[in-house]
Amino acid sequence: MRAIKGVLLTCDAAVKQILLIMNEQQSFIIEDLDDHHLVIKADEEYRIRRQLETELEKNTYTLES
Amino acid sequence: MPSVEENPLESLENVKTHALLPFLHQQSATALSRLYTSPSSCLSIFRLLTPVERQIVMNILWLESAIPLSTMAAWVTIDGKKLYERSLETLSQLHILSQYPMKLLLNSTFKSSLRHAITGGGTTGSFGVPATKDPKHSPPTVESLDGYALERWETILHYMVSSGTGQLPTKPSTGVLYLLKESGLMSGSQNFEPQITSEGFQFLLHSPHDQLWELLLQYLHMVERRSMDLVEVISFLLMLSTMELGREYSTENLSQTQKVMLEDLRDYGLIWQRRPSSKRFSPTRLATTLTSSSEGSSLSTLAPTQATGLGNSSSNALTRSKGTGAGIGGGAAGGGAGSGNQQGFIILETNYRVYAYTDNPLQTAVLNLFVSLKYRFPNLVVGSITRESVKKALNNGISSEQIISYLLTHAHPQMRKFNPMIPVTVQDQIRLWELEKNRLKSDSGFLYTSFQSQADYEYVLNYAKELGVVLWENNAKRCFFAHEEGHGNIKSFIERRRTAGQGQ
Repeated sequence: MRAIKGVLLTCDAAVKQILLIMNEQQSFIIEDLDDHHLVIKADEEYRIRRQLETELEKNTYTLES
Repeated sequence: MPSVEENPLESLENVKTHALLPFLHQQSATALSRLYTSPSSCLSIFRLLTPVERQIVMNILWLESAIPLSTMAAWVTIDGKKLYERSLETLSQLHILSQYPMKLLLNSTFKSSLRHAITGGGTTGSFGVPATKDPKHSPPTVESLDGYALERWETILHYMVSSGTGQLPTKPSTGVLYLLKESGLMSGSQNFEPQITSEGFQFLLHSPHDQLWELLLQYLHMVERRSMDLVEVISFLLMLSTMELGREYSTENLSQTQKVMLEDLRDYGLIWQRRPSSKRFSPTRLATTLTSSSEGSSLSTLAPTQATGLGNSSSNALTRSKGTGAGIGGGAAGGGAGSGNQQGFIILETNYRVYAYTDNPLQTAVLNLFVSLKYRFPNLVVGSITRESVKKALNNGISSEQIISYLLTHAHPQMRKFNPMIPVTVQDQIRLWELEKNRLKSDSGFLYTSFQSQADYEYVLNYAKELGVVLWENNAKRCFFAHEEGHGNIKSFIERRRTAGQGQ
């Protein structure tokens, strides 16, 4: 039996796909559990959140600026 | 008794208890009966109770001996039973009812003090001793007191709202700063300027009456650390709330603790004194409304709002004379000006535009928390709710519900004609923006894999489930994810099992 320390991410399928692509550039996923769950390295969480946010931001459009 | 009428029952049940009462519940019976020796405290606490509780107290106030529960219960209809019992419960927690649940009898100290409060007589001084007329100065006018209280209070709020924006508003006194930090509304160490916390942001959106009590409760929590007498502090606050606005009171009869409090309360704007060493003080509207009308509709007209009304009404007058220059449908400014100009000032349109009829820098600053402001006129601020502005607010720890409830409570009278008051599109969009922020949920913990047998797996999994720490499981893969908290327990559980297995 093994216990692996990590962070469980719960997300929707679309976000998971983005995460998988991000993982190709710089690997952080420990275990791909199912469509909505991933286990990642604990110290990478902050970076992932930032990167995901910029990625999602690309898909929103505003009338301003 | 409680359930005379059918309809108001529900509204009665929804009356929320005053913030001070839970605090009093925690106090010991001796502390409370010391508090009850002062008639003004009893009267104030009586005013804080819900209507049903007041009704019960009034009914048995003049009885000398206890009455059996059944006598009173016979007056209560089935619908009102729950409400009635809850009221009795509260009263006994406050030690106002002394023999509950055997019999109904008022705490003797409370009884005699409340009787004094109602009929007069008894020891003087509980309601404050009016100062003798000062030959040199006339007492402060109500307007100047209102102005002073408003200025003090807004200094505090304005300081909070503009911390971290780079502006430097006037600083409140160190006592206030300390209180803000202690209460967790602001954070910061000695070397850095204090920064507002997410609780602080939430605090700003509350009604003034709630804000005031939130700070005062914090003050009460600090009292013991400063080795002040809690009972004296509470009774002084309650005494203030029974005083008359625009009147001067003498400090002669105050205890040492209460004299120290004068200084603090001056900083919060509850009390006005000509000089710090002055022998007389005047309570401001903030103080005299502390315990008045804690329920329902009258909430919004309380202290600071009322005072702000002075500023607002003048700005509204301006609007009327100039016509509706901003170009929104003429009725908006003109129609609303007459009636409720003391409370509502925000108009929100379905296109996310916000028109705020205010010249108050504090209200503008609060709006700036979640609205991106565009134009500013002497009496009007125009902005719009955008994804960015809401996101900024969410990042500051303000929730979408808080934004919506702020918009609701400060809606312009003109808005109140609509049902629902806030356009549904805007409401929903604000909630959606919040959801968008929470697309990724994370929990740190441990992934347990590579179990040797299905039995092994299930055995450990069941244990983890009992602890309630399992976040994800998969039977086919024979692995599960458990929250960090449970790791120590699970680890020792497995080790115990392993050693037991080897022993056999």
